[in-house]
Amino acid sequence: MSTIHRIWENGCETVQRFQKYKPLIPIREAGGIVYVSGHGPEDINTYEPLCRGRIGEELTPEEGYQAAAECAKTLLRAVQERYGSLDCIRHMVRALALVNCGRDFENPEKVAEGFSDTCMEILQERGRHARTVMGTRNMPNRNIPVEVEMIFVLSDKYRDRKRCEDFTL
Amino acid sequence: MGATEKRMEQLGIVLQQTDWRGKGAAEAVFADDMLYFSAHYPVDEKGKPVYVGRVGAEIDEETAYKAARLCGLNMLRTLQAYIGSLDRVDYFVKALCLVNSAGDFYNMPPVMNGFSDLMVEVFGRRGQHARAAMGAYVLEGNMPVCVDAIIKVRR
Repeated sequence: MSTIHRIWENGCETVQRFQKYKPLIPIREAGGIVYVSGHGPEDINTYEPLCRGRIGEELTPEEGYQAAAECAKTLLRAVQERYGSLDCIRHMVRALALVNCGRDFENPEKVAEGFSDTCMEILQERGRHARTVMGTRNMPNRNIPVEVEMIFVLSDKYRDRKRCEDFTL
Repeated sequence: MGATEKRMEQLGIVLQQTDWRGKGAAEAVFADDMLYFSAHYPVDEKGKPVYVGRVGAEIDEETAYKAARLCGLNMLRTLQAYIGSLDRVDYFVKALCLVNSAGDFYNMPPVMNGFSDLMVEVFGRRGQHARAAMGAYVLEGNMPVCVDAIIKVRR
């Protein structure tokens, strides 16, 4: 807890009022369409990246493919945690994949294929999506190799169930 | 496992598993009445790149403008295949335009006007859209531009 949020009342320290506040939430729903933040190939609990570096320099394209597959797992895990089950995905809509590329690497779509393949294996035809792949040079979390964000349509059964939780920030 | 599957197991019938690999990315996907496009590239009918190179290095701004227009034409072709008649387009919502930029190239918006101009020519005011144009470090096959879009379709 940072000192600035410490409040002293009658000589006792009270609980931080805005403890739950975070500027960023991993998942937001709007009108039955769910937007998921960008996720990298990270440990689910510690957010420690499983690998780092640029594809074509520190990492080979195959390692990049594996990293993208891990992205899909991290992302779907976040969705599962939020809604309780992956049944909440009626179908996927769109994915934006950012690939950390070295100087002469020209096939970012081959890396992103790792994400798409994993989604298809897990969700089958529900996993089909529109995809944009972009090669970048610098990535967050000390240079993770891939980051993917996605949009999916929520099943009717899961609509509104969690909405009030969204506004208790 | 359902009763039918059990019966099939008794009969020793094994169905081959579908291989979903490589089938994940569709050209466009509907979400209710919104159509989300994948990135479209300046390629010919067979998927062969027409323009290759970085804008500001191998490719100049005017050529890149033409490449962006070709992206738009490819998108219209996909659109026609998905919804039949282009009359069903209600309006364009948003486009994300990526420009494969050389180190000191900063004029992404004029390049991407190639796409936007085409849409306004074809659809008039319905073709106007919100747009983000951005320089990318690498694009597929070293092509100079790519565009994805979200449009609203009439039922």
